[in-house]
Amino acid sequence: MAEPKEEHNRPTDLVGRILFRVSRLFAIFGGFVLCAMAVLTTLSVTGRAAFNAPITGDFELIAIGTGVAVFAFLPYCQLVRENVIVDIFMSKTPFKWRTFFDLIGNFLYVVIIILMLWRLPLGGIDLYENDQMTLILEVPQWWTFPLAILCLILLLAVNIYTVIRSYREIRLNRTL
Amino acid sequence: MSGLEIGGFGFIVLLVLLAVRIPIAVAMLTVGLVGYFVIAGPAALLSYLKGEMYWRFTTFDLSVVPLFVLMGQFAAKAGLSQALFKAANVCLGHYRGGIAMAAVGGCGGFGAISGSSLATAATMGQVALPELKRYNYAGSLATGALAAGGTLGILIPPSVVLIIYAIMVEANIVTLFQAAFIPGILAALGYMAAIAIVVRVNPRAGPAGPRASRTDRFKALLDIWPVLLIFVLVMGGIYLGFFTPTEGAGVGSVGTFLIALSRGGMKFKDFIDALMSTATTTALIFLILLGAAVFNAFLGFSQLPLATANFFKESGFPPMSVLLMMVVLFIMLGFVMDSLSMILLTVPIFWPIIAVLDFGLQPEDLKLWFGIITLIVVEVGLITPPVGLNVFVINSMAKDVPMIETFKGVVPFFISDGIRVAFIILFPAVTLFLPRLLAIE
Repeated sequence: MAEPKEEHNRPTDLVGRILFRVSRLFAIFGGFVLCAMAVLTTLSVTGRAAFNAPITGDFELIAIGTGVAVFAFLPYCQLVRENVIVDIFMSKTPFKWRTFFDLIGNFLYVVIIILMLWRLPLGGIDLYENDQMTLILEVPQWWTFPLAILCLILLLAVNIYTVIRSYREIRLNRTL
Repeated sequence: MSGLEIGGFGFIVLLVLLAVRIPIAVAMLTVGLVGYFVIAGPAALLSYLKGEMYWRFTTFDLSVVPLFVLMGQFAAKAGLSQALFKAANVCLGHYRGGIAMAAVGGCGGFGAISGSSLATAATMGQVALPELKRYNYAGSLATGALAAGGTLGILIPPSVVLIIYAIMVEANIVTLFQAAFIPGILAALGYMAAIAIVVRVNPRAGPAGPRASRTDRFKALLDIWPVLLIFVLVMGGIYLGFFTPTEGAGVGSVGTFLIALSRGGMKFKDFIDALMSTATTTALIFLILLGAAVFNAFLGFSQLPLATANFFKESGFPPMSVLLMMVVLFIMLGFVMDSLSMILLTVPIFWPIIAVLDFGLQPEDLKLWFGIITLIVVEVGLITPPVGLNVFVINSMAKDVPMIETFKGVVPFFISDGIRVAFIILFPAVTLFLPRLLAIE
């Protein structure tokens, strides 16, 4: 859980820069959603304490907000290489080998996200067809699916980019 | 192959993937998905995947995690570590080793409003290291104290790791926070005792600083009012049941934001910085949570956790020796892994074993006791070589101290941890006292 190493993990090539900008925007959007959740709970708690009038069903919005924020955070985290790895056993192996396994890791992540991108919309369609809503506020549950899918598409693009980045790093034998 | 064999094989494959630098979450997802496919078949897997990712992220239980992360980030921007260190320093600085003790005390204070070890070590390091150097403290003592002090960020609630543990074993987060409080204070006192012993053996390691005047003391203590306010409001509110942990974290985020704003630490750039740190930390936590969920769904199908639990139940091993084995395994894993991944990987296997053994405790009490023990021993991994993250963070700030010195400096604190773990294992009452007291109210 380190501080973001944004400065030295910032891509320098054109595609990387574009992906970085977009992912960063998504992450900031997620951050604002989180802030909105904080403000919402504060208002609800104050309302409950001062006027005995909490915001009903605020926890449903909080749950939805958490999901939206997390989906929006994922691409940025992958792009700046913040996902946690166990670095100890290979710290002495040559750069090329380490980067080769990074490539495999990034590739596996691509496959996983393709799988998710195939299944997630179907889950959303199920909820849409069943008209599933949250209990108190009756927010249609499928509403946030398009947003989640958009985030996953960006994540897929970032993942494919990181695979190519690892490949180029092996070819050039240095960190990009 | 039977389910058990597939489960065991999957576990081994997972460890191999981890060893070759595959990101922990990706490794868990890969093995979990393949294992699920093999045991339950394609149809079950495909239907499971329709909802798993969405519902794993969209839950109220976990919303407390990003909010506490956000609160910690805002707190770090508010310059509170400065005020905390100063207040501790005017009280302790004139003793031998007192400035290092003040750094630990400051970490403890910061830990009471922050749930992250690294953030605590980093913010306090920036403030305390220059002071420690100015008064000629030995590099090993200065960096060791701060690396160990940083773990107080997690040991003293709020604590992100503890929230994850609570969700995994279906314990109440509030009672777990209550249970962690006294052991957390003991940790801070134990670290201070370690410093006292170090300077007794080697007085030159930590010379006494000047005595502060009474007015200075008063002023410095007044200056920590924002920390007290946030602590009383957020943790007090959670402990006493005025609001849920999520509500507490939400209120705390707004509160720390306003304090940072009023102290000039929240320019637009700082705000965006805090959001970006929150984004990466939250994303990596939730991705690992998703990986662990899929992996554990697979393990559940394989019946491996159940079988190991039964094995230990029927083997007739004394419960305490099983617990000690786990503690040793945790410390060994801590040499190579971060605390969150360790908990997610081991608790699904360990908890069922602990749950069927007889420690003479009620099931709910057992959850609390085992949780606190687990929390302490996984946090020890943050200060042990070769990948003690806190040690790296602090060492990178103190340019003139060699890494080996910092690891040497950590040893007394490691011993202090060991004594504390033994104490908490032998006397469950230390952990259970506060939850019981507050439950009566």
